[in-house]
Amino acid sequence: VVRCQLSPPQRALQASAVLRRVSDEQKKEPSASSSQQQFDSHPTDQQPEQEPQGPIPSYTGQGGQESEDYESEEQLQHRILTAALEFVPEHGWTAEAIAEGAKTLGLSVAAAGMFHSDGSELILHFVSQCNTKLSELLEQEQKRVQLGEAEKKPTDQFLRDAVEARLRMLIPYIEKWPQALSILLLPHNIPSSLNLLTSMIDDIWHYAGDQSTDFNWYTRRAVLTGIYNTTELVMMQDSSPDFEETWRFLENRVADAMNMDNTANQV
Amino acid sequence: VYQVFESVAEKYDVMNDSMTLGIHRVWKDILVHKMNPSPGTLLLDVAGGTGDIAFRFINYVRSVRERQLQRKLKRQQNLSWQEIAESYQEEKFKSLGDSQVVVCDINKEMLRVGKQKAQHLGYSEGLSWVLGNAEELPFDDDKFDVYTIAFGIRNVTRIDLALQEAYRVLKPGGRFLCLEFSRVSNPLLSRLYDLYSFQVIPVLGEVIAGDWKSYQYLVESIRRFPPQEEFKAMIEDAGFFKVDYQNLSSGIVAIHSGFKL
Repeated sequence: VVRCQLSPPQRALQASAVLRRVSDEQKKEPSASSSQQQFDSHPTDQQPEQEPQGPIPSYTGQGGQESEDYESEEQLQHRILTAALEFVPEHGWTAEAIAEGAKTLGLSVAAAGMFHSDGSELILHFVSQCNTKLSELLEQEQKRVQLGEAEKKPTDQFLRDAVEARLRMLIPYIEKWPQALSILLLPHNIPSSLNLLTSMIDDIWHYAGDQSTDFNWYTRRAVLTGIYNTTELVMMQDSSPDFEETWRFLENRVADAMNMDNTANQV
Repeated sequence: VYQVFESVAEKYDVMNDSMTLGIHRVWKDILVHKMNPSPGTLLLDVAGGTGDIAFRFINYVRSVRERQLQRKLKRQQNLSWQEIAESYQEEKFKSLGDSQVVVCDINKEMLRVGKQKAQHLGYSEGLSWVLGNAEELPFDDDKFDVYTIAFGIRNVTRIDLALQEAYRVLKPGGRFLCLEFSRVSNPLLSRLYDLYSFQVIPVLGEVIAGDWKSYQYLVESIRRFPPQEEFKAMIEDAGFFKVDYQNLSSGIVAIHSGFKL
């Protein structure tokens, strides 16, 4: 934590020194650091994230140690939220889960006061983390195809696998996910959640090889968004083993979409 | 400052109600809601004299704890008899869940009135009363989860020292909350407020508490206190992060919040 009594320009100078120091430390949570890129609804008056690939230092904060740990407020917040995720199945997406997460990092429970009391930031953080993981998965797959280690999948298969992979990330939290969905629909959260959703769908199409420059760009994304949302809702109510019903539903919807595309082309 | 509050102690609460027309209760409620304490929180209420914030904190934590226990019980519906019996023995169903308040004040009289009130209202567990000076707190480092000072910091001679002490006694991740009179930005409201402060309040002081001078001092100390942004900078200088303020009643009162990170 930057313990300083500097004015903003001086703080910015310190930030560049901070990041040089940060790159010496070990990588702790790579997913948390890269999720900072996508989650942009946080207005910060502190240092902007200049190095998206910067590893996060290990937290050595004991009251006495002064200049050992350099970390911006936002990085600390991300660490608290990531730690809070493991308490979600028990406490739900609430300030309580965040308080428990803060405790595991050695901070006071009052640190949960930094966040909104309805747990929005926790959910948005989680969604952003999932999207990042999905991007990484798709990136790796693309590399494998390029290296010839894997076959290029047909579009419908690709879409199905991508959506399934993304929805599987919800499984540990599935009981409390309906609560999360309802919070994401609150007016003050809609801009951020919509943003995350659209960028995820865009990512999937990008890796699927979509290079359309006409109106198709919009229709494809709209269709996939529809498929994703409806499948998510079906998953909430699915009690079949390993969510078989959901994947079958997904398969049918993607097939429908493909047919629609073909019919449209014929016309 | 000491003598002002000695004479003021007995009638403090009554005067508060009449001066602010009872709105001070709402302000204090908002402060505790903003704090959103979870059970197990250790609170230090400085200049907390008659215990208003402390009592609200206890009420809040009690109700949160009740809800927690209810949720726990609901989840235990499907347990076997054996497991239920075991869980009864485990928890004493602590109604406060280990939360505690330490009320610290420089003035014995204010503490005495506070203790009386606590007895009268039936608050017994989780409360401590300590005599102390905000500029030099009689506590160890890194002890408390939350530090509050409601309508007290403007009476401190060296505000920066008080802020530094606040930083010292808070745990890492701990929160500083200050409820205090501040600058009204709206010019029309400002004029009305000035009128009310200088004409009505000392008169009330004389009539209800028999003390014109103390309430004159009060109003003047409000005017001398730095405005929101300046106070925010002072808090940041003491080392707090994510410092922010929330204006209540369009600036008559402001809640400043900072974290020790």
